[in-house]
Amino acid sequence: MGILAGQSAFYYLAAVSVASAILAITRRNPVHSMLWVLALFVHVAGIFLLLGAEFLAAVQVIVYAGAILVFYLFFLMLLDLPGETAGPRFGAHWPLGASAGLAFAALAWYAHDPGLVPAIPRVEPATTASPGSLRSIGMALFTQFALPFEITSLILLAAIVGAVVVAKRKNVP
Amino acid sequence: MVPSVPSVPLGPCLGLSAVLFAIGLVGFLGRRNIILMLVSIEIMLNAVNVSFAAFSSHLQDTRGQILALFVIAVAAAEAAIGLGLVLALSRNRPGVSVADLTELKY
Repeated sequence: MGILAGQSAFYYLAAVSVASAILAITRRNPVHSMLWVLALFVHVAGIFLLLGAEFLAAVQVIVYAGAILVFYLFFLMLLDLPGETAGPRFGAHWPLGASAGLAFAALAWYAHDPGLVPAIPRVEPATTASPGSLRSIGMALFTQFALPFEITSLILLAAIVGAVVVAKRKNVP
Repeated sequence: MVPSVPSVPLGPCLGLSAVLFAIGLVGFLGRRNIILMLVSIEIMLNAVNVSFAAFSSHLQDTRGQILALFVIAVAAAEAAIGLGLVLALSRNRPGVSVADLTELKY
């Protein structure tokens, strides 16, 4: 892939990501919001692919778009909020929220210092796999990051138990 | 095909990450529906993942992607717990709006 094609693909994906994120937080119907979030997740997966993170792109599509978003959609349909499309979308304090978001973006823009990030290290041995490949991720995940990996499984177990306990009805034995 | 040296520079990726995070922040602070506030948190976590992947690609290092994987796992746990809380809440309240939660206010 040429540099120009990669960059134009990146700018397309970035523009669609930002547009679908804005649409997701401004739509009145929550199901429409979820579908725009789905578009956002798929385009972010495309950005991961462009950045050479193939495994992360696959996980993004499978876990985020496939599991988490479907979970949210199931939940919206379970609750069935008929009055949601009638009321106001934003609270009365939304200008404060918008100014906080703008202030954050401006701060991140201002704080972006190219000198903080070292240049691309040019010492690339030909033998190592690319950093996004499944092999290198698996090697790092099960050797250097084995303890955080196990702690992640504990977090997921606690989330399963906690979700069941929180959502259970009181009168069910 | 993915090139070994990425064709996307670091700066625009971080800009995109900041913009997506700000959009998620506005959604979290502004929306009234609790479910959409949780979705805004997911948007913010995705923005952070974009910057992790950008740094990983820029530095040719795997660790950024590992951190992004952990972020995805924590996001799944957060979705499960958060939606369980919203379900428990919707049994006692008429709707899932932050305007229904005013007990600590008075």
